[in-house]
Amino acid sequence: MAKYFDVSVEDIFNTMEARFRVEGAKGVNAVLAYDISGDGGGKWLVEVRDDSVKVAKTDDLSGFSVKTSADAETFVGVNIGKIDGTQAFMSGKIKIEGDMALVAASAKMFTRYSLPKKSAVTVQGIFDTLVARFQPQNAAGLDISVGYDITGEDGGQWTAVIKDGKCALETGLRDNCAVVNIVKAKDYIDLILGKLDPMVAMGAGRLKLKGDMNVAMQLPKIFAKFEPPKEEEEQELIVIKRNISVDMKYSTGPVMGKFFEGLIEKKILANKCPKCGRMQVPPREVCAECRCWAGDMIEVGPSGTITLIEIIYYSSPDPLTGETRETPYAQVHILLDGIGTEETFWHLLKNEDLADTKKGDRVRPVWSDKRVGSVHDIIHFERIRD
Amino acid sequence: MTEENKHCYIKEGKLALPYQYFAGRVGSKFLVSLRDKKKILGVKCEKCGKVFIPPRKTCERCFEDISEKWVELSNEGEVTNFTVVRTDDKHHPRKAPYVLAMIKLGGADTPIAHILGGVDPDSVKTGMKVKAVFADKAVNTMLQIDRFEPVN
Amino acid sequence: MKKHKKNRNVAIIGIGQTHHSSHREDVNQPEMIHEAVERALKDAGIGIEDVDALVHGNMELFEMVHQPDLWHVIGTGGYGKACYRVTTGGTTGATIVGVGDNIVASGLHDIVMIIGFEKQQEGHTTGGITNMADPLWARNLQTGALTGATAEKTINEFGADRAKRAAMRLRVTLDKHASLNPHAHRNFGLDYDQIDDLMVNSPQLVGELRLIHMCSQSDGAVAIILACEEKAKKISKKPVWIRDHVTVHREETFNMFGINENQEVTHHNAARKLFGRNGITNPREYFDVFEMYDPSSWWGLDWLREFLQLEGDEHLKMVENDEVSINGSFPLNPSGGVISTNPIGATAALRVAEAALQVRGDAGAHQIPREVKHALASGFGGTFWTVLFMLEKDLDWQEAE
Repeated sequence: MAKYFDVSVEDIFNTMEARFRVEGAKGVNAVLAYDISGDGGGKWLVEVRDDSVKVAKTDDLSGFSVKTSADAETFVGVNIGKIDGTQAFMSGKIKIEGDMALVAASAKMFTRYSLPKKSAVTVQGIFDTLVARFQPQNAAGLDISVGYDITGEDGGQWTAVIKDGKCALETGLRDNCAVVNIVKAKDYIDLILGKLDPMVAMGAGRLKLKGDMNVAMQLPKIFAKFEPPKEEEEQELIVIKRNISVDMKYSTGPVMGKFFEGLIEKKILANKCPKCGRMQVPPREVCAECRCWAGDMIEVGPSGTITLIEIIYYSSPDPLTGETRETPYAQVHILLDGIGTEETFWHLLKNEDLADTKKGDRVRPVWSDKRVGSVHDIIHFERIRD
Repeated sequence: MTEENKHCYIKEGKLALPYQYFAGRVGSKFLVSLRDKKKILGVKCEKCGKVFIPPRKTCERCFEDISEKWVELSNEGEVTNFTVVRTDDKHHPRKAPYVLAMIKLGGADTPIAHILGGVDPDSVKTGMKVKAVFADKAVNTMLQIDRFEPVN
Repeated sequence: MKKHKKNRNVAIIGIGQTHHSSHREDVNQPEMIHEAVERALKDAGIGIEDVDALVHGNMELFEMVHQPDLWHVIGTGGYGKACYRVTTGGTTGATIVGVGDNIVASGLHDIVMIIGFEKQQEGHTTGGITNMADPLWARNLQTGALTGATAEKTINEFGADRAKRAAMRLRVTLDKHASLNPHAHRNFGLDYDQIDDLMVNSPQLVGELRLIHMCSQSDGAVAIILACEEKAKKISKKPVWIRDHVTVHREETFNMFGINENQEVTHHNAARKLFGRNGITNPREYFDVFEMYDPSSWWGLDWLREFLQLEGDEHLKMVENDEVSINGSFPLNPSGGVISTNPIGATAALRVAEAALQVRGDAGAHQIPREVKHALASGFGGTFWTVLFMLEKDLDWQEAE
């Protein structure tokens, strides 16, 4: 199984059910599909149903809510935090089809995959400190060699040569060792860290001593206790999250006020500059060009011609309501009938018209039944198809 | 209604914005110490000798980096100034009436503003000895000290 | 053309910027600003006591803190000094340099430090931008700073394939520039062979504006120290002279989309004024480098035409022929531009700072490979307004007047 950063794609998916967070998936009903290419890749479906999750390897990804495609290395890297997800997405290494908001939400549904913690203490690390831990005052008159035969993965052979109140470490086993410790690497680390009792280890045959037992008994005195290196703790960085919400009152003034009165009566009013004849909608107190009072209100539209259609594929939550509009939706800029050529009117397009509406098409407003003098008095504009 | 404001209306609206604030390394150490050890830390500028609380990375007068110069302050101090808040507002941390006091902790040169509780507002005096009462749960703001109260 | 003469000459004598990133949890706002301030003071070889006044700016509402200039004093060093806070949306960074330029030129202060910053991770960018619009009308329709209008305009004019290809080529070119700038927030390692893929597969935001076309949201700060001629010559070995700057504002409006495509935009207007009153007849030949405020690759492409007063498809050809690359005849944004790094309140000031580094020859790996004597830097904000700077290596233009 191909591994990237010591982790395989299978590792990520096999631990997904265990990493599921019920509190992060409340109200979510979605099928997340993954198409991972390259060595160790494959196809997976992750079905999230409110408080349960099912992860399955499959050949058929149909019926997904969102599909993420990536190469195996990128996928693993992003999942274990070695590759920046946004960066990978933006540069095209990750592709997402369907409901993109679910990808962000999935970060809350699963805890991050964490690498199985490797012991910070290694056999090599223990021997690296052996000479420094030598206690000459407890080794007066000794002239011996102590052998270590550490077996298994990450093991090795060493000989501590003690003579004239000094200690030297050699790799390999000398023939003339007074005693040789034979033990598996993992057990040796546990012995040194005090997690495994030497008598128990000997009783179970996991620690074998070949040679002079008396010398073996002296060893804890000859060498000071091994202190494992302290893991540097990552500092906790405090962040507070807040939401400022202030109730506001906005004055319409008489010009915008008249415009709103018009909307209640299903009329769109523009104001006209007495100097240049320019019309503005929604109306503003003064002409933007001549800077003179433009109080004359003239009814325009309500139908008009689309001059620009903006199809929104990515919508961020409206901070005023917290709601996110469903995408895609379209905003249209409309040249209302009778407005002249100076200003377009900005509103939404009926979703059903999205597929086949283009610049130059004719539209009319769809009025709300409850008109109170607001932008929402017009629900949206719809295409005139007759 | 006059002719001029006949067409004027007031529309209700809202300004609502989510935000987050990062305390940074210096601020985080201060807040974590309040929360986990119930100890109040300041930083000392060795150039001007001033001990600041809340701690900051730079002495604003000497422009020296003092972010590593931690000193532990006393959890007790004295009121250097105070006011009694007598109106209610949804943004206030307590119901009125309550006391907001400037408190200079033992070992600090700058006072901090905090809530003074457990006392009749009318009996608060400048110079009064007070001690910090820590919040029971994680707050991660200055209100990790829930309030100050008079000593005895 | 109306004369526009400074009371006295002003030079940039110190530049400092932070590393720009999507997140800076390790520092709070004043601490992040302090990094830039310290670097600018070191660059100028002066202390905070030598600075007479500060001009501080960022976007309103972006971090949801008010009066940041006051509680940033710990980081800015403003204690007891004259401090001004200025905010003009996206142009803020350029406006604060403009204010600093004016304060020094007027004789009011000799040495002024401008500070632009943004910690966008702390706020809600789209929310902040939405709040700039009229609460009774446009705020209810607005979607932040995203628009596909320029893409559509360019596609209508030059055809879909050529337009999309040129915008993406510019995107890749600037990504290559960003990879040379150690301060840049984002570089993806894009290459020209990805153009076809990205044109189709980069997710669409609005119309043909795709994710890869749009600038980042960054945390970062920049500080620039300005000095009068007398002090600048004493303090600095390589002062960069602010020859002139122009600001063109207009009504905040959403009512101009889709019509009046021949109406002069503020970029064109600003460039026409600035070049006119300084006797620049061929900006493409005169300027050695241009640091443009390019929030998206579509805008960057279109605005080459506006700023350089070009006709027809000249701006497309400049991109297609790689004239705008760092080794080309008219290098555009050797820093990687806004598209790679965008701490908004600092962004427009970074354009001036990066242009000045080019003039000094101190830009490092993204220094353009020939002498830079004349540099152009722009700021952009709102639905449309402009600040435009011209910088000079030598103080020799007045003799010609």
